[in-house]
Amino acid sequence: MSPEFAASWLGDSWPQWLQATVLYGVIAVVLFISIILMMAFLTLIERRVIGSIQARIGPNRVGFNGIGQPFADVLKLLVKEIIIPANASKLLFIVAPLLALVPALCTWAVVPFAPGFTIADVNAGLLYILALTSAGVYGVILAGWSANSKYAFLGAMRAAAQMVAYEIAMGFALVGVVMAAGSLNLGEIIEAQRGGPLSYFFWWLIPLFVVYFISGIAETNRAPFDVVEGESEIVAGFHVEYSGMAFAVFFVAEYVNMILISALTSIFFFGGWLSPFEGYPLPSWLAWLGAPSFIWLFVKVWFFLFCFLWFRATFPRYRYDQIMRLGWKVFIPVTLVWIFVEGLLWYFKIGPWAGA
Amino acid sequence: MKTPASFFKTFFLTELLVGLFVTFRQFAFRPNVTVQYPEEKTPQSPRYRGLHAQRRYPNGQERCIACKLCEAVCPALAITIESDVSADGTRRTTRYDIDLFKCIYCGYCEEACPVDAIVLTRIHEYHMENRGENIFTKDKLLAIGDRYEAMIAADKAADARYR
Amino acid sequence: MTLTEILFYTFSAVLIVAAVGVITARNPVHAALFLVLAFCNSAVLWLLMEAEFLAIVLVLVYVGAVMVLFLFVVMMLDINIAQMREGFTRYAPLGIIVALLVIAEIASVVWVKRLGLEEAAPAVFAAGPDYSNTRALGELLYSKYLYPFELAAMLLLLAIVAAITLTMRRRRGAKQQDVAAQVAVRPQDRVRLVKMQPEK
Repeated sequence: MSPEFAASWLGDSWPQWLQATVLYGVIAVVLFISIILMMAFLTLIERRVIGSIQARIGPNRVGFNGIGQPFADVLKLLVKEIIIPANASKLLFIVAPLLALVPALCTWAVVPFAPGFTIADVNAGLLYILALTSAGVYGVILAGWSANSKYAFLGAMRAAAQMVAYEIAMGFALVGVVMAAGSLNLGEIIEAQRGGPLSYFFWWLIPLFVVYFISGIAETNRAPFDVVEGESEIVAGFHVEYSGMAFAVFFVAEYVNMILISALTSIFFFGGWLSPFEGYPLPSWLAWLGAPSFIWLFVKVWFFLFCFLWFRATFPRYRYDQIMRLGWKVFIPVTLVWIFVEGLLWYFKIGPWAGA
Repeated sequence: MKTPASFFKTFFLTELLVGLFVTFRQFAFRPNVTVQYPEEKTPQSPRYRGLHAQRRYPNGQERCIACKLCEAVCPALAITIESDVSADGTRRTTRYDIDLFKCIYCGYCEEACPVDAIVLTRIHEYHMENRGENIFTKDKLLAIGDRYEAMIAADKAADARYR
Repeated sequence: MTLTEILFYTFSAVLIVAAVGVITARNPVHAALFLVLAFCNSAVLWLLMEAEFLAIVLVLVYVGAVMVLFLFVVMMLDINIAQMREGFTRYAPLGIIVALLVIAEIASVVWVKRLGLEEAAPAVFAAGPDYSNTRALGELLYSKYLYPFELAAMLLLLAIVAAITLTMRRRRGAKQQDVAAQVAVRPQDRVRLVKMQPEK
């Protein structure tokens, strides 16, 4: 995204800072709306997919085949009353959902959607993502604490411990990606994977991929790591006391985070917008399949989103102490060992590092 | 880790992959079994115990003889009966109320009835809109019986072999 | 006034308010949250100084991990404020002395400017847009300052090990699961199929 691009759209008569503001404003709004729409349909698809896995149909009544279901849900949540519990810390209670949602949306600023299209092409993009995803836990913790309810509080405690534990494993997994790519810039990480599906980082970093994706599921508090919500134990966890749109904001944050983790997984390990057919001979009318484009990122993101739903429908919820054990005693050692292995590969110039 | 095999099993997540395969098989290759209710309905047994009804003899005389066996057997105390001598000198109920909120649809009243007067029909889609409508009076029960007599008779005939 | 200056003064003002909030807030959770705000603002100030790496790491480490654990502990405390105030006057002189010392130290650093920044990286502020301070920091840390860096890491490891040994104790009679044993279990170990003679 360059200012010249904006100039070609808006003409030269406007001052440069105004051009930039308008351009980024428009892009941000378009991106926001598309992500929210994607999230809305993800809720529908989740219910349909999990339904199908359980031999049910799922919601299919609103609109054609249930297409209108997300909008019906939003309408329902909009007209519901937002109840603030007695003795709740009012300001924090209202701010908490926003604290959960804003980091989730901000992170999209550095995600490369298509070749050359990133809102903010910053050098330390990966660190920025790590910092913002780790800030997302505040929404959950404050929601739990400010509601003045013991169930919510227990949920918040669990969230705090779980998210801190898995952030470390996630960070270490990304260290491996950075070692392979030699850059913290997401666009350059994708470029480093150019050369067909066999040169994706996935092949050399399988353990890190597994650790990253599972940590991502834990980080978004999705099943099987959803002890934070754990209906059977603590009602609905940190958001028991929320109703109406305040609850919906948490819901949106969770799903936006899911989409984000899927996008990041496909960028870090599956070449983002690179085409899986790259480097293979294709007939001329199919040549566009080999070119890198947004479509490939979209397809990969939906594949991982499907995995999220698939896992939720397959695995029973982990027990809390087992989650902690997995995070601290399995994932962190696995990533450390693999980073060491990667270092050896790099030193002896094996695999993708042969030419380095 | 006892054996290399179990080590393998743990670190390559084989058990989890097997589980994922099972759910994916259902997702992709097996049909959903949901019945789309208002349009499709599951088959009902003639013994289905739904809404209550009181029957009449073919000549129009009501069957109930106010023996109060149903009132006695009702485990939920949902039935209230008052009786008197009627105009033609027979023993008849003056009041026969069933509280549908109390009723547990066990069907004991039907079993107890010596003249097959009180029956449970297979009607299960009904509702009330106001307080008090949950008390089904004799008139209402008889009206239901009159309206669905054909269905009730057919169900009784179908079940008669097993009684 | 340029945009950078406006931003600087805005965020500095918020930072100072937040810092005052940390020590004046009655509720320890609010104090911790003020501290988070202070961290975020100082990260922004660092961003304005083009120290992106430090800014992001500040948010990542302090806001994302340290303060979360801090809140974790603080939220579970049931602090009696009256009891806490008891020692206030008694320890006040000591507190004032420490505060004065810290102020003197900061002043000496700011005024005397003996940080050596100018010599260590004279090219930083003249660098072009391609300059990555992440790379520069990495090169310095892993070449010139490798030994102190590793030493600091060892020190932290020592602290972790010490904390764990101090607090970990094996309780008698506590049941713990052995996950490896659970994974390695076979059906034959759990279920014994017995063939019985039918009785008549």
